[in-house]
Amino acid sequence: MSDWGMQKAALGERRAAGRQHAKGKVVPIPNLPALLAAVIRSGDRVCLEGDNQKQADILATALANLDHRDVHDLHMVQSGVVLPSHLDIFEKGIARRLDFSYSGPQSARIARMLFGGKIELGAVHTYLELFARYFIDLTPNVALIAAVSADKDGNLYTGPNTEDTPTVVEATSYKNGLVVAQVTEIVDKVPRVDIPGDLVHFVVEANRPFYVEPLFTRDPAAITETQILTAMLAIKGIYAPYGVRRLNHGIGFNTAAIELLLPTYGEKLGLKGKVCTHFALNPHPTMIPAIESGWVEQIHCFGSEVGMEDYVAARSDIFFTGPDGSLRSNRAFCQTAGLYACDMFIGSTLQIDLEGHSSTVTTSRIAGFGGAPNMGSDPRGRRHPSEPWLKAGAEAAPDTNAALRRGRKLVVQIGETFGERNTPLFVERLDALELAHKLDLDLAPVMVYSDDVTHIVTEEGIANLLMCRSKDEREQAIRGVAGYTDIGRARDAKLVEQLRQRGVIQRPEDLGIDPLDADRNLLAARSIKDLMLASGGLYRPPSRFRNW
Amino acid sequence: MTAVTANAVSLSWYEASARQRIDALLDAGSFSEFIGPELREISPHLSIFDLPEQFDDGIVVGRGRLDGAPVLVAAQEGRFMGGAFGEVHGAKLAGLLRAARALKHDVLILFDTGGVRLQEANAGELAIAEIMRAVVEARRAGVNVVGLIGGRAGCYGGGSLIAGTCSRLIISEQGRLSVSGPEVIETNQGIEEFDSRDRALVWRTMGGKHRYLIGGVDMFVDDEALAFRQAAIDALKAGKRCDVAVLEAEQARLKRRLQRFGEAEDAVEIWRTLGIGNPSDVPALPTAAFLRAANDRENADGAR
Repeated sequence: MSDWGMQKAALGERRAAGRQHAKGKVVPIPNLPALLAAVIRSGDRVCLEGDNQKQADILATALANLDHRDVHDLHMVQSGVVLPSHLDIFEKGIARRLDFSYSGPQSARIARMLFGGKIELGAVHTYLELFARYFIDLTPNVALIAAVSADKDGNLYTGPNTEDTPTVVEATSYKNGLVVAQVTEIVDKVPRVDIPGDLVHFVVEANRPFYVEPLFTRDPAAITETQILTAMLAIKGIYAPYGVRRLNHGIGFNTAAIELLLPTYGEKLGLKGKVCTHFALNPHPTMIPAIESGWVEQIHCFGSEVGMEDYVAARSDIFFTGPDGSLRSNRAFCQTAGLYACDMFIGSTLQIDLEGHSSTVTTSRIAGFGGAPNMGSDPRGRRHPSEPWLKAGAEAAPDTNAALRRGRKLVVQIGETFGERNTPLFVERLDALELAHKLDLDLAPVMVYSDDVTHIVTEEGIANLLMCRSKDEREQAIRGVAGYTDIGRARDAKLVEQLRQRGVIQRPEDLGIDPLDADRNLLAARSIKDLMLASGGLYRPPSRFRNW
Repeated sequence: MTAVTANAVSLSWYEASARQRIDALLDAGSFSEFIGPELREISPHLSIFDLPEQFDDGIVVGRGRLDGAPVLVAAQEGRFMGGAFGEVHGAKLAGLLRAARALKHDVLILFDTGGVRLQEANAGELAIAEIMRAVVEARRAGVNVVGLIGGRAGCYGGGSLIAGTCSRLIISEQGRLSVSGPEVIETNQGIEEFDSRDRALVWRTMGGKHRYLIGGVDMFVDDEALAFRQAAIDALKAGKRCDVAVLEAEQARLKRRLQRFGEAEDAVEIWRTLGIGNPSDVPALPTAAFLRAANDRENADGAR
């Protein structure tokens, strides 16, 4: 190769083409379509910022409105396929190939488009995995990102929802890619510099904030007594005996119930200071009572949560905040923290099979993974010991030399035997397999693999899969907590009873829990208003969650 | 507290079941049920639709004592079919009201309803008409009929019409009172008219505070069973008139209210017109502060 520096030269050409439509770095919003058409080339790998929370929505719409005769065959590499415009880009033939991580609200449409061949799928990733590939083989040519404000030099303030931005910019800008940011406003001086201006090539003043979904708000009013029972089982049967201090909670009502039981039930069990002191977690509103009653020492966040901004700023003793006072979130760092520095992941799922594989895919919906498979996996590269990690490792392999024995991360799946609309949580065969077959995928989209799952909690009890010594025991342990589902009813009663004698299965009564005590009065907050009051008025719930 | 003790120390009315509400509302141990679940007086219609039935058809009726005085009481169970009126459900309430007229006992209706059951709509609509007639006849005979609104299902549709005929209405912040529900309005008029998922909008349009401020109800209480109990005791002491003069006064008041607020686009504008300082803070006000701010509310005292 003789002509070195071609990438830099190509970037220079794009910047020159873009400058036709900008004043310095600032692009007036009417010029946005022309700018995108000038800087994006057919076949480019484009990262459109957006995850399960924040969205570069103005840029997404502008990209979807390009003429496919000018720009086509793009390869989109992005965390979230969440907005309708994210799929319009494919519908209109502007993009062809997709590598992504999460698709929550678009899960049905993305499945239809995959079946219809409108999208050529690379892979469905976890967030951290996709970020990693940005630096190896999926490096973007162009990144379209979102921030709160910018100065005219392109320095960006991303506010509490920093999330993916530093990672995307790092991978793009340092590898001769071009970065365009949408910002709410251009200011003389940004409150703090989250992204240095020399990495940002163009800024568009949108005059309105980028969209953020309040994905992590769970209304305590909707928590059922069955969910409270599962939460009591988890606290008394897993948090307490393992002494879990460093952890991540998935999204869902079961984990919200756990958060709201800490100051009541947890307090009664004398667990304060012994469990749940350090989290990799978004600022869940349901954490407010636990934080206010002194349970929590520290929380690092993937992103922010709508309405929690003032509360977080006022609790800088707990959260990571910048010199401007507001939250600093960072998805890549927090995912890494959740992987390596947490001893437990607990979250809910839609389907669990007889081996313990779990998946949120159904035949007509591809919701993606987000961060769950990363949180919910045992990091083989971990080397530092901790009490829960060592204890779990010893349960899995009691006969090996302790000094040479890997610990195990606790990966707990929690749910009711019958979920929403009475669909059974336990299935003979995951829908994900059907989907993989129909789409001719090499891999079925499994969220948590069975060899990573250590416990399954339902209202029937806890199954400790670490202590199962054969495939058969494992299957019966799962059937043993599957209740009245077909899977549960087909259990071998004798084997299940033996597993219970060994403590592999623990029923509520084995743990001294009376299911009749699972009452909503146990919740430290029973409504969004209770949460607002517990925060001293600092939590400002979005309109859709307020019943006052 | 009154001399006669109630059952509950602290119970959220919003969270409680129909039976828990009755237990907490009446004097301890005084309640006896009519046509209880053991009689299995279930809906004759639901099985046609393969829908589950309940042995009390979602309403508990009976007699008891409130602060020593005999009362009849009906409580809807909002967790069974949204507390909706069906044939049996409606007949139990209509019968209770007729008994009240004969016995000259005051009545407490604990509303928790979305209106009439679609699966037995004709029977349900008929029941609503019969109940409204029975309320008016009982009131004409000098009986108080007090409605308590603070359950999860609110008080909608036919339930709201019945509430309109009561002599006094008690509501909590969580309570909602309206003829058409949020989803119904959105379905018929579009999301531009009413976004049913905007819960803050729903509550400031139909919720307890707004209904109290515009005189749609008479008393505003905390979401506590004991607060409802005390308000019910007070409500029974209020006037029992139900005559042409009262109805004419109510008609005149409603006309005035329409003139005064008819152009308002949002509840906050009404609150501003009422002279409430910082009207947009109303939803966040705690009860005591709210009651102070509500001093100049519209009220229906002369009209009930």
